[in-house]
Amino acid sequence: MNILQQPIPLAQWVEGFTNWLTSTFSGLFGFLQALGNAIMNGITETLLFIPPLLFIALLSLLAYIVSKRKWGLTILTFLGLLFVYNQGLWENLMNTITLVIVSSIVSIVIGIPLGIWMAKSNRMEALIKPLLDFMQTMPAFVYLIPAVAFFGIGMVPGVFASVIFALPPTVRFTNLAIRQIPTELIEASDSFGGTNRQKLFKVELPLAKNTILAGVNQTIMLALSMVVTASMIGAPGLGRGVLSALQHADIGAGFVSGVSLVILAIIIDRFTQNLNQDQVAKSPVTSKDKKKRRLVWLAVIAAFLLAFIGKELQKNQEAQKEKVNLAYVEWDSEVASTNVVAEVLKEMGYKVTITPLDNAVMWKSVANGEADAMVSAWLPTTHASQYKEYQDKIVDLGPNLEGVRVGLVTPDYTSAKSIADLSNQAKKTITGIEPGAGVMKAADETLKAYPNLQDWKLSSSSTGAMTIALEQAIKNKEDIVITGWSPHWMFSKYKLKYLEDPKGSMGGKEAIHTISRKNLDKDLPKVYKLLDKFKWSQKDMEEVMLKINEGASPENAAKEWIQKHKKEVDNWKK
Amino acid sequence: MYKLEVSHLTKIFGKRQKQALEMVQEAKNKTEILEKTGATVGVYDVNFQVKAGEIFVIMGLSGSGKSTLIRLLNRLIDPTSGDIFIDGQDVAKMNEEELREVRRHKINMVFQNFGLFPHRTILENTEFGLEVRGVEQEERTRLAEQALENSGLLAFKDQYPDQLSGGMQQRVGLARALANNPDILLMDEAFSALDPLIRREMQDELLDLQAEQERTIIFITHDLNEALRIGDRIAIMADGQIMQIGTGEEILTNPANDFVREFVEDVDRSKVLTAQNIMTSPLTTNIDIDGPTVALNRMKKEEVSMLLAVDRKRHLKGSLTAEAARDARKQHLALAEVIDKNVRKIDPDTLITDIFPLIYDSPAPMAVVNKEDKLIGVIIKGRVIEALANTNDAEE
Repeated sequence: MNILQQPIPLAQWVEGFTNWLTSTFSGLFGFLQALGNAIMNGITETLLFIPPLLFIALLSLLAYIVSKRKWGLTILTFLGLLFVYNQGLWENLMNTITLVIVSSIVSIVIGIPLGIWMAKSNRMEALIKPLLDFMQTMPAFVYLIPAVAFFGIGMVPGVFASVIFALPPTVRFTNLAIRQIPTELIEASDSFGGTNRQKLFKVELPLAKNTILAGVNQTIMLALSMVVTASMIGAPGLGRGVLSALQHADIGAGFVSGVSLVILAIIIDRFTQNLNQDQVAKSPVTSKDKKKRRLVWLAVIAAFLLAFIGKELQKNQEAQKEKVNLAYVEWDSEVASTNVVAEVLKEMGYKVTITPLDNAVMWKSVANGEADAMVSAWLPTTHASQYKEYQDKIVDLGPNLEGVRVGLVTPDYTSAKSIADLSNQAKKTITGIEPGAGVMKAADETLKAYPNLQDWKLSSSSTGAMTIALEQAIKNKEDIVITGWSPHWMFSKYKLKYLEDPKGSMGGKEAIHTISRKNLDKDLPKVYKLLDKFKWSQKDMEEVMLKINEGASPENAAKEWIQKHKKEVDNWKK
Repeated sequence: MYKLEVSHLTKIFGKRQKQALEMVQEAKNKTEILEKTGATVGVYDVNFQVKAGEIFVIMGLSGSGKSTLIRLLNRLIDPTSGDIFIDGQDVAKMNEEELREVRRHKINMVFQNFGLFPHRTILENTEFGLEVRGVEQEERTRLAEQALENSGLLAFKDQYPDQLSGGMQQRVGLARALANNPDILLMDEAFSALDPLIRREMQDELLDLQAEQERTIIFITHDLNEALRIGDRIAIMADGQIMQIGTGEEILTNPANDFVREFVEDVDRSKVLTAQNIMTSPLTTNIDIDGPTVALNRMKKEEVSMLLAVDRKRHLKGSLTAEAARDARKQHLALAEVIDKNVRKIDPDTLITDIFPLIYDSPAPMAVVNKEDKLIGVIIKGRVIEALANTNDAEE
């Protein structure tokens, strides 16, 4: 009977197993991560080295050849890519393409042999089929967690998650295609004394080719759909635009990134489908056709290699810049501060990458040295649990902004003054943000601490969704209780108030701290020094936030602020 | 020494084979064994020998185990027990390597649905056996083209199988096997998927080929006529066991058991025969539509000199001879004016014994018509005599 009252500690088991994997194979994972990053950065940089307009022209030409002189695909490719370029999303597009290409190749390299094995052995099929079902039905978000544990943040875990999610169709279709070959043909091959290998390469694979390619097409599409999800763990590309639009409730930007993904998806889909139509038109493929096709492929590879060499030469001419990697969360406050720090570092001659992550992942990435630093740690209360977990793996450089606070916030027309006054307003719901955020944990504690909140719920969504809900409620003069924090532009836009917190469960006054990885002071002393000195006020931050909210890009808003506050910035650099 | 010798060959599919084997020995039938054990008896205790250059036909209804048997001969299916000797070597005991050599050089197969690879051209299909053997490209193209030349298909060598008719495809299947120059040719219902005319052509071709090359051929069919046409000896199978082996004549005149007896006749002797049982489908001309030229054309095609004349509703109007049709063409007459209305009509339920006396004085074939005077069949002399001969045999 005990089993009914005691939950089975499955979570702990999985946790333990993952930890064991991480520690046992850390060398292998580290190697794969370094290798993967090197390869993918190489591909992306090569693609970016090709001037966009030339690239668009080349791809349109390729579309013309691939689609056997049909204008539809050519025009779609040309206009679609031109649109993406026009929207300033070219770099994101190239990053996404790299992610999709690498995920697809890995899926194919693993998937086709697995599918063949499955087709050859009924036992194997019985074993793998449920596994594939499991892989496809498990929410893709779940794969992000071990991906971060194994490969940290960036492209590599994105590929890892994409591969798990996108692998099944290739495996299934390969298995199906080989099993569907008429028995007579298999018998024919055997009866002439063909070896298993000859049978596979002369009969099975050529006959299964079209079905396998249909599976590969599905795999590529799934890998593409994972791009958005993978951006939560720092995979760069168009997905990041969609995700940050969601967190800022920025409909326009989200739509543009989304449409760019759709354009890319359609182009890839049509390309792969056209490549799959060799045998449909049943005219014998002459050697001339084969030569032509080989020429096209050679040209594509040659062009890529040329670009790669060009990129390498350019790299050598450029002074080797030192790299700095900053992590942040997509909250408006952190977008402002991180961009400012990044711009200052760029001025100092560093190559800076800033990676938006989920809060918990951000802490983890600094703790294990993936990211060099962050300027977004809310202490002592909001991020207390993360701080406790990682405190001996990080260096706390102290506050960079004092006097921030978090709490439960209501519009000023709401009657309640204190958390203790809440009874049945706002449908007994606290409208929250991302479930991993520190303020959410504090709100959870608060629900437990106040007896009058016994039957209240905390509903999580995203920062952007929460601000939209707030806007709606204020429009309709309805009560709403949100998990709020300042500095935030909503306080300048609406009349809001913090609810008093007599029990102090939401934390008192807080500060935003700068946290760096261990040994940053030895590796990049100048960066460490700047981060240590970096300190500004709420007013400064809100200046940048408002600019961004009015539609400036974070980068430009940061640059503008730096222009205006030269003195302050020079003080940090000392 | 025999070219091919099979002794005590058994194949049981599925689980609990021991139990199934015991039940076969107790002469239980297939369905009973399947229900009891879940095992299927494919082939049980088959023994036969084939001499070099012989066409050995294995016949049986579907489910009799003939397809399993032929696949046991080249080990596409592994036997449960028993031996298969080719030139004195036991194929059943060979390892993969040895078996592959035998398949590459000694024994090849032609399939019911041709078994051609749709992604390879005719030439590439034909040279497949040589290719897996590792013959040089030039040599294998030469041999394959030679084989295609022999079957008159060289012109199609760059086409794909689905651009060819069934008969052509099967010729390619045969050429593919022959290009390898095997000692033994296995043919698994090779002509069953073809239409009757082409089938007959292919049978003739096979016989011509055999007269030239004297290969050992194991031929599987479910068609008695085919077996009688091409088989030097015939083995009849039922429920995975061989009922009788012999020449066509032996099997027809001296059936080993009731099963074979019933099998070799398509009529059931226990019934009293009537016109219905022995009539064949009539060759007709429709006088409302056809002219004399069409009628002559049909006679030429069907290789007859007389047709029955019907109207649009299939009512019998008379008979038409070739001479009458020719006259009609010369004098520009309609068919209705030249037909001979004097045709003997018979009710479908007339007994054979009553038909027999009528046959001698009937110039034209006798027409079987139903109550509405519609033509449903025709009685030919040969069938009557055959039927009578059979009933007399049975009475002895």
